Amino acid sequence: MHKFVAIVGTNSDNSTNRKLLQFMQKHFADQATIELVEIKGLPMFNKPEDKQIPAQAQAMAKQIDQADGVIISTPEYDHSAPAALMNALEWLSYYVNPFADKPVMITGASYGSLGTSRAQEHLRQILDSPELRARIMPSSEFFLGHSLQAFDDDGNLVDQTKLAKLEDLFADFQTFVDITKQLNHANAANKQEIHDIDWANR
Amino acid sequence: MKLVGIAGSVADKSYNRLLLKYIAREFKDVVDLDVLDINDVPLFNQSDDQTDSPAVQAISNKILAADGVIIATPEHNHTITASLKSLIEWLSFNIHPMSGKPVMIVGASYYDQGSSRAQLNLRQILESPGVDAIVMPGNEFLLANVKTVFDENDNLKDDRTVSFLKETLGKFTKFVKVINKMNEKEDPGWQSEDLESHGKVETTVEGVDMHAADWVEKAAEKTNAAEGDDYVKLDRGLLTVNQLNYFLNSMPIELTYADANNQFIYYNHFLEAKDMLAARTPGQAGNPMADCHPKRAIPHVQQVIHMLRTGQTDMFRLPVPGMGPDKYVMHYYKAMHDAKGEYKGINELVLDIMPIVQYYLKHTGQMLVKDPDADTDAVSGASTNTKPEKTDAVSGASADTEPEKPATAEPEKPDEVSGASANS
Ligand SMILES: Cc1cc2nc3c(=O)[nH]c(=O)nc-3n(C[C@H](O)[C@H](O)[C@H](O)COP(=O)(O)O)c2cc1C
Repeated sequence: MHKFVAIVGTNSDNSTNRKLLQFMQKHFADQATIELVEIKGLPMFNKPEDKQIPAQAQAMAKQIDQADGVIISTPEYDHSAPAALMNALEWLSYYVNPFADKPVMITGASYGSLGTSRAQEHLRQILDSPELRARIMPSSEFFLGHSLQAFDDDGNLVDQTKLAKLEDLFADFQTFVDITKQLNHANAANKQEIHDIDWANR
Repeated sequence: MKLVGIAGSVADKSYNRLLLKYIAREFKDVVDLDVLDINDVPLFNQSDDQTDSPAVQAISNKILAADGVIIATPEHNHTITASLKSLIEWLSFNIHPMSGKPVMIVGASYYDQGSSRAQLNLRQILESPGVDAIVMPGNEFLLANVKTVFDENDNLKDDRTVSFLKETLGKFTKFVKVINKMNEKEDPGWQSEDLESHGKVETTVEGVDMHAADWVEKAAEKTNAAEGDDYVKLDRGLLTVNQLNYFLNSMPIELTYADANNQFIYYNHFLEAKDMLAARTPGQAGNPMADCHPKRAIPHVQQVIHMLRTGQTDMFRLPVPGMGPDKYVMHYYKAMHDAKGEYKGINELVLDIMPIVQYYLKHTGQMLVKDPDADTDAVSGASTNTKPEKTDAVSGASADTEPEKPATAEPEKPDEVSGASANS
């Protein structure tokens, strides 16, 4: 069974994105182990000269490193991913490389009707950067619009069409993870290149 | 032109900050650029609203008061930094100071084209509805290879880069003017100034007759006002009400406070009306400004207030002759604003500047002589033969807000525009 890390893409206490990941954790329990990871508590990224990242970020990096894949659920703030998520990804690319060649599935929940379409595109662009080099599952988008109304009292997705889509995408992700494992020839080189990025120079 | 500069970095060393500081120095004749610090801005959190934190408020207020904003962005992970994004989120959550603001984006990076993606991203973010800024199209200024482009004094070495930057900045100043013109609210005109104070502002004390001679006592009772030895916290200090009175009453200037509702609510009462340069009586405090002026002076007063309220001028100066050759009495009308730039009324300062002039002449061994080229009789008040003023102090300062009848400051009725006058 695959082991996935699910990153809650916000530091907000009442997050519908957290609800979505909690639902996935429960709903897919017989297909995969999903561990939720919080980004709340990380300090603001400031490019420290000692090249040290906070203990919390180190623990996250380790968890991601050991996982078969990562699910990130992002809110949308100002047509883009929240600063808190960008901040976590800055730490997770600073002289560490947990995302290198890591399969990533992106989901997103927002209060409006578009359901984070722009934030997800932004997040793809970030994860595709030379500092992160994640392997984002292509042609797969899960948008949960009107997210405040999307769950029942037990935290289950109300909309059955949405649920079916999520199940299909999750099945695809499982396959994508297996395929990605075979695309491994450049793994070492990729990790090395990230490691060699001189952050003092950007 | 007042601009604020925001460098999207909280790292100790930032070439983007260096670039903004350079622009502020090099082009200080073109723009007044205040480079802000974003280091103390907390990471945005939707469930922990820190909009009111000093760091966010300070930046918001400076943006509100500025004509435009220049943002210098680094590029991390193909996008802008979390620290810059976090600031923008605060400025789009419960407050929206960027709304309608002209913005120019620049970026410094270590490589060729290093910040182009971040700049594009930033543009999209700034134009999202919650932020609602107006970003200057085109004109990307990407400073590449930053390690080699600054000299030891942190100035840009390459003349072509400097002239391109200058050209871009020149375009931005035009852009700022156009956008701010577009944003201007329709001016209802000086006739809209209500000197009867029918409206109300946040501080207006309701239910007390403004015309009453004991308005101060009644309004103080109603508001449970601090008095005597009660402490008042001020920017910057702490005084008791008594101390505040000692302080204000020892100013060698007659001070009058007229609020944004055109109500005369205070003067520093250290002289009797007959000894004042602009007479006020204790019973007048609280009056609508219309009570304190002769009817024919009302349009002039309205014009001056309106210019101050709408920011056409920050201070209006009016010499008021008629007190003999030994005095040169100036009335200064200074607009007051809160930290957000909101109009809060007028501070009228009345003083005789002759003693100051005399003191200066005596101590520097100089004397006054008539300027043979002067076409206005500007110094007439100070010269021995006092001639009636011909220049039109009020309407002359605002050609586009002329009253129906041209205004003339008549020497024998000196206090037409001032906040109050006891004998009218
Ligand atoms: C600063 C700010 C900006 C926002 N901008 C957007 C936006 O551009 N598009 C959108 O659909 N929702 C926007 N929202 C509302 C979000 O949909 C909502 O806060 C969030 O996505 C819900 O995710 P969560 O429940 O996991 O916190 C914004 C909210 C905040 C606080």
